[in-house]
Amino acid sequence: MILDNLTDAVAQIATFHTIILMIIGTGAGLLAGSIPGFTIAMAVVLTLPFTFSMPPAQGLAMMIAVLVGGLSGGLMSGILTGIPGTPSSVATTFDGFPMARKGDPGFALGLGVWSSFCGGFMSAVMLVLFAPQLARIGLEFQPWDFFMLVIFALTVTASLSGENLVKGLIAGAVGLLARTVGEDEAVGVGRFDFGSDYLLSGFDFIAVLIGLFAFSQLLSDVRDRKAARTALTDQRKVEVRIEHRRAILALISRWQTVLRSALIGMFTGILPGAGGSIANILAYDQAKKASKDPDSFGKGNPDGIIAPETSNNAVEGGTLTPLMALGIPGDVTSAIILGALLMHDIVPGPTFIAEEPVLAYSIFVAFFAANFIMLGMQSAMLRVFVLVTKIRMYMLAAVILAFATIGVFALNNSVDDLWTLFWFGLLGFAMRQLGFPLAPMILGVVLGNVAELNLSRALAIDTDVTLFFTRPWAMFFTIVALFSAAFPLYQSQRDKGLRWTRFYAPAMLVAVAVPLSLMDGDFRKILAAISVATAVYLTWRVLNGKTA
Amino acid sequence: MTLNRDTIVAIVLLLICGGLMAASFQIREPDYGQLSPAAWPRAIVVAMTLLSAIYLVQSLRAGPDQETDEGTKTWGEFFAHWQNVIYVFALFLGYLLIIPWLGMLIGGTLFVFLVLTALGEIRNTLLHLAIAVVSIGGIWLLFTHALGVLLPRGDLTGF
Repeated sequence: MILDNLTDAVAQIATFHTIILMIIGTGAGLLAGSIPGFTIAMAVVLTLPFTFSMPPAQGLAMMIAVLVGGLSGGLMSGILTGIPGTPSSVATTFDGFPMARKGDPGFALGLGVWSSFCGGFMSAVMLVLFAPQLARIGLEFQPWDFFMLVIFALTVTASLSGENLVKGLIAGAVGLLARTVGEDEAVGVGRFDFGSDYLLSGFDFIAVLIGLFAFSQLLSDVRDRKAARTALTDQRKVEVRIEHRRAILALISRWQTVLRSALIGMFTGILPGAGGSIANILAYDQAKKASKDPDSFGKGNPDGIIAPETSNNAVEGGTLTPLMALGIPGDVTSAIILGALLMHDIVPGPTFIAEEPVLAYSIFVAFFAANFIMLGMQSAMLRVFVLVTKIRMYMLAAVILAFATIGVFALNNSVDDLWTLFWFGLLGFAMRQLGFPLAPMILGVVLGNVAELNLSRALAIDTDVTLFFTRPWAMFFTIVALFSAAFPLYQSQRDKGLRWTRFYAPAMLVAVAVPLSLMDGDFRKILAAISVATAVYLTWRVLNGKTA
Repeated sequence: MTLNRDTIVAIVLLLICGGLMAASFQIREPDYGQLSPAAWPRAIVVAMTLLSAIYLVQSLRAGPDQETDEGTKTWGEFFAHWQNVIYVFALFLGYLLIIPWLGMLIGGTLFVFLVLTALGEIRNTLLHLAIAVVSIGGIWLLFTHALGVLLPRGDLTGF
């Protein structure tokens, strides 16, 4: 069965047309990722309108290619110019740029490219193995559990994506509200339309995403008049040969760093809201702590390139896992991929892999294939990268904004969507300037109707609202949401050395053990027991003056 | 008393919440369906009101804004600081308004050319014109011929 699905999926992806589109997508992603100011999410969201006329598997394959390319593109500018192309490659510059300046740019790029490949490949394996298992667990979820899962996703995104939790939660609420405008999906009653036909038809959520993310980002990029007129580099040509063989040997000898960083990336990816920007720093930090020579970090240590580049590419397999298994995107880019699925009338959820196996396996296959294409294209794109970085930012921004406009119109052949792009571009820009994170808002927009639908279903089955907190899975998500909401407070108080923070982890472990113990199956009860035992051990350490 | 920026934002948010709460009572209540169409938006507005109130308290505790070097005290300084953003928004607004008359091809080309001219240097005008014509012409051809999308035609231009 799996083999049949896999064969069908390979047949869908391995067509001349799809491979060409994936090559174009990977190239575009590599370039977008390499240009500081252009985010991967922006590249993926701008690809979306181009894919609407393609079959779902082909369109998704192209978007995944852009995503994988974007994740790897940041290392080029980070290593060659010292300016990270994306937030996911910030830590790469710490050692990549010094190594390049010492006269070893080919080795630095080789390490980056092969680390990206290893991270991407390992996370693709995890996605294939883990997503179907998680989907099986997802089949146990009832409407109460799904509703609380959305609330958990919003809370944890708000707590991880900004300095101020309250601002993050407000952004999430604005996203949820934006999705309520227009006709109610259940009974067709107009909401917040104020007598306007435009509002009554609701906002197309892809136009909202492009406005919030791409339009507002482009405006932020050109805000500074002087910076907008400056090119990233004036290098005429680049004479670098990527040292593949040396890099592969270095990676083999440092396999622990590769494995550890890939695990960090995958785990960070599964957490909603925590993407490559967090994973690359975490992996770098862990590599430094584990190193026998931590003082060499920041001066061109190979581990300082391997760790962030492996982890930031491993993130995406993690973020796609909850999307494929539960229909809950792990970050902004997977939210956009969710948008692409919805555009083709495919609603991901626990039954997605079972009901649409060929499409699901096509996503897996495309993810694998994109990593190989990325590997092959890095050398070629290096020359194009140097050309693109000579273009002034305002020129790129103006042209891309016009492209976005045409792309948004093409979604529904509607000028109304262009107004949505405009208003949400304005809103997104204002939110960026006022310090509101956009990730929770985007998640709110994407998950708003999922939350309302499940709330409605839950109340139709039983009007008892305590079920939202007492059913085991709903209770589990409530507890994790509460602890994630308290996380920013815990972090700030821990830095001040307050005693209660030492009990945060044991308290969470005990709390999580309660719903686990209420679930069916011996394995979960064993997990609950392990959780309590760990909490007791940590508490014992705290009480005996050791660090928790 | 000097209000900081966050306080002003929090007050604006609370006013918006008040407006939305009032608007939620205008939502028609049908006789069917388990969950009222107004219930979910109202629940979000209640949550947002509470969060905005917390945000207001936080901002009041934080005290007045720190002086910045950016210099946006006078209207002139404000315009200079946000010049590019204002140009892009104004030109985009103009672009949306002229699409029915000039269509997406001519309107888009004009938009890109004007944005480039407003944001760039005047000595590059010819380059800006070339970029606008080639980029919009190319994407217009891609969408209309390769992807089969009918882009808006202008009443005045006919294409």
